[in-house]
Amino acid sequence: MAEQSAIFPRYFRKVPVKRNAIILVVVILAVAGMIYVGARISRNSKAGLEAPEAPEVAVGKMAPDFQLKTLDGKTAKLSDYKGKAVLLNFWATWCEPCKIEMPWLVDFHKQYGPQGFTVLGVAMDDDADSKEWVQKDIRKFAEEKQVNYPVLLGNSKLGDTYGGVPFLPEIFYIDRNGKIVQHGIGLKGKGEIEENIKKALGQ
Amino acid sequence: MIKIVIVVLALLVASQAQDIKKKQYVTQIATPRVSLAGAKTAPVQLRFAIDPEMHINSNRPKTENLIPTKLVLDLPTDIAVVKTIYPPGKDFSFAFDPSEKLNVYSGEFPIAVQLRPAHGASAGTFKVHGELQYQACNDRACFPPKKLPVEFEVTVLKTKSRRR
Repeated sequence: MAEQSAIFPRYFRKVPVKRNAIILVVVILAVAGMIYVGARISRNSKAGLEAPEAPEVAVGKMAPDFQLKTLDGKTAKLSDYKGKAVLLNFWATWCEPCKIEMPWLVDFHKQYGPQGFTVLGVAMDDDADSKEWVQKDIRKFAEEKQVNYPVLLGNSKLGDTYGGVPFLPEIFYIDRNGKIVQHGIGLKGKGEIEENIKKALGQ
Repeated sequence: MIKIVIVVLALLVASQAQDIKKKQYVTQIATPRVSLAGAKTAPVQLRFAIDPEMHINSNRPKTENLIPTKLVLDLPTDIAVVKTIYPPGKDFSFAFDPSEKLNVYSGEFPIAVQLRPAHGASAGTFKVHGELQYQACNDRACFPPKKLPVEFEVTVLKTKSRRR
């Protein structure tokens, strides 16, 4: 025993062996899980056959609140929309699939608006919230697409809050209580988007 | 022990997020070499491979908002670029909107750079660094603009000086 005490640091001697073993198993499982998820993300994005899967952990949780500048110079918070179902759409002017789904979002905003629904578009162009010329491009783009919903100027801090937003378009469907009910990365069909809106509305 | 575990897990999560952000969808194939003699120009051909099922905008995308592929070099003062030649892209449309034509690169593509020694260039071998600026998409999603580090080697040969 005296020999063991000399070999192991004092700290480890205090912790029961059984507890150490449990912690070790937890660490191994966590690392294995991360390697598996990392490999899946890498494989999906490398193969490019389909948009990488969304981190499902976000579904069922409350959508993190944020405050952003809007294109018309105001500020908006997600919590301002509590009581409404929200389609939170991350997009950028350089994203062609985002451009394709925009007219659909315009239609849905108009169609489901009276039922307590809104689309919030978050432009993720670099420096969207700080450089005027970027905002000018975003405004021009939104006008060309006849966007009828609020456009917010995103930043990397918000991106990190929402899982990094590594691919665009990305949509979070949020119910009237602020809970994320569905999450989609990449261009989806118009029908699938509508189904998720209904889900957010509780229909 | 628990504190150590928490720190290790936090570092792992952070490193994975960074990995996704740092991921490149284009790679440079080999490091080409070129020799320059006298005041003559010589081309160096850089070759790139795009990940399968992915595409990047060509140097001249058809829509102004799209980010063109561009090579930016950080040249030593002894070497000058005469011209950078980008290949033409291929027309491409997303299945959801066949009417919108894009112009893209996919698979492998070259960029040729014509170089010449600058006036009074000293002989020697120079490693030229730069970056390929690009923005990649697959058929459903787009990835933020990236910068791929690029390099090649240029040897400026000694010129025979004329004796009076």
